[in-house]
Amino acid sequence: MRRHFLIPLVCSLLLVVIVVPWIAHAAGGGGIDCVVSAIEREYHVRATRIPFMALASFIAGRATHGGVAGVRVAEFEHFDKAADGEELNRMVAEKLGEGWQRMIRETSRHGNEQALIFARPEGRRMGLFILDLNGNEMGVVEVSVDPDHLNETIGR
Amino acid sequence: MKEKMIGLIVGALALAGSAFAQNAPSPLMLPPQVEKELAARAANVTEVTLNKDMLGFASKFMNDNDKDQAQVNQLIQGLDGIYVRDYEFDKEGEYSMDDIEKLRQAIETPEWTPMVRDRERKGAEMTDVMVKSVNGETKGMFILSAEPKELAIVLILGNIRLDQLGQLGGLGGLGALGSVDSNVRAEEKAKEAQKKAEEKAKEAQKAAEKANEAQQKAQDAGKDTQ
Repeated sequence: MRRHFLIPLVCSLLLVVIVVPWIAHAAGGGGIDCVVSAIEREYHVRATRIPFMALASFIAGRATHGGVAGVRVAEFEHFDKAADGEELNRMVAEKLGEGWQRMIRETSRHGNEQALIFARPEGRRMGLFILDLNGNEMGVVEVSVDPDHLNETIGR
Repeated sequence: MKEKMIGLIVGALALAGSAFAQNAPSPLMLPPQVEKELAARAANVTEVTLNKDMLGFASKFMNDNDKDQAQVNQLIQGLDGIYVRDYEFDKEGEYSMDDIEKLRQAIETPEWTPMVRDRERKGAEMTDVMVKSVNGETKGMFILSAEPKELAIVLILGNIRLDQLGQLGGLGGLGALGSVDSNVRAEEKAKEAQKKAEEKAKEAQKAAEKANEAQQKAQDAGKDTQ
C-alpha cells in the first residue's frame, strides 16, 4: 500500500523537476539564447558570437562597480530577410519569457528597421534586452543594470 | 496505474502552464483591431510602455542635485505609467474619422472628462485632451492628437501636475509633451504681454488725462490774460 503511494509521488516530483524546466526552456524562459536561436531558425541566419564577451562583461562590471553586469551580445551581419515587426515582437516576447515587459517598440517599413527594448526588474537591478535591426544588420544585447551604481559611474 | 500516471503528467503540465502567466495587459486599452490596422498602414510606429517599475528605474538616473531633474524625478515618482502610441503615415487619408472615434470611445468612461477639444483645418487636425479626476485631483491624462500624416496617443496615469508635465519631454519618446508645456508657457507669456499692454494703456490714458489737464490749464491761463 505504501509502495503504491510512494511511486506516483516520486514520479510526480520527477515530472515537476525535469519536465517543468524543460517546458520553461521550450516556452522561452531562457532570455537572449532562446531569442537568438528562434531568430536563427525563423530567418535562416547565423549569429556571430563576440569573442571574449564574458571577459568584456567582467571588465565592464568591474569598471562600473557592478553598474553593468551580464553583458551578452549577438550580431547578425547579413540579415537580408524582411522582418515583420509584429511577428518579430511576438517571437521575442514569447522567447524572452515571463517577467520581461516591453518598454519601447519602434518599427519602420522603410529600410527594414525594427527596435525593441524589453526590461525586467531584478530586485535592485534591471535586466534590459535590446534588439535593433537596421537594414541588413541586427544586434541583440542583454544586460543587467544597477541604476544607482551606473549613475555614480556616469556622474564621475 | 496507467491512468494515474497520465493524470500526474497532465497535472504537472497544468502546473507548468500556470507558471507562464502572461504579463498584465497595458492600461491603454485601444481596440485591438483598430490598433492592428493602424500599425499595418503606418510607415513608422513607435510604442512606449513605461509602467511604475520602469518609471522608477528611469527616475534613478535623475540627478537630485540638479533642480530641473529633481523636479522631473518628483513628478515621475507620482506617476503610475506612461503609454504612447505614435503612427506616422506616408500619405494623408491612411486613417479615418471612424478610427479616431473608436479610439476616443475606448477611453470615454464616466471618470474621464474632456478638457480640450481642438479642431483645425476643417477637421484635418485635431487634439483631444481628457483628464481623469478623483476627488479633485488629476489622476490621469489622455491625449489624442491627429494630423493628416500622424496619429499620436498618450496616456499618463498617476498624480499629474499639469504645469510640470512638459518636463517629461526629456524622457524618450515623450517629446510631444513638450508642446503641452510650450502651450502652457505660451499662454503665460500671452497673459504677461496682455498685462503689460493693459499697464501701457493705463499709462497712456493717464498721460492723455495729464495732457488734457495741461491743455485746460493753458486755456484757462489764456482766458485770464485776456
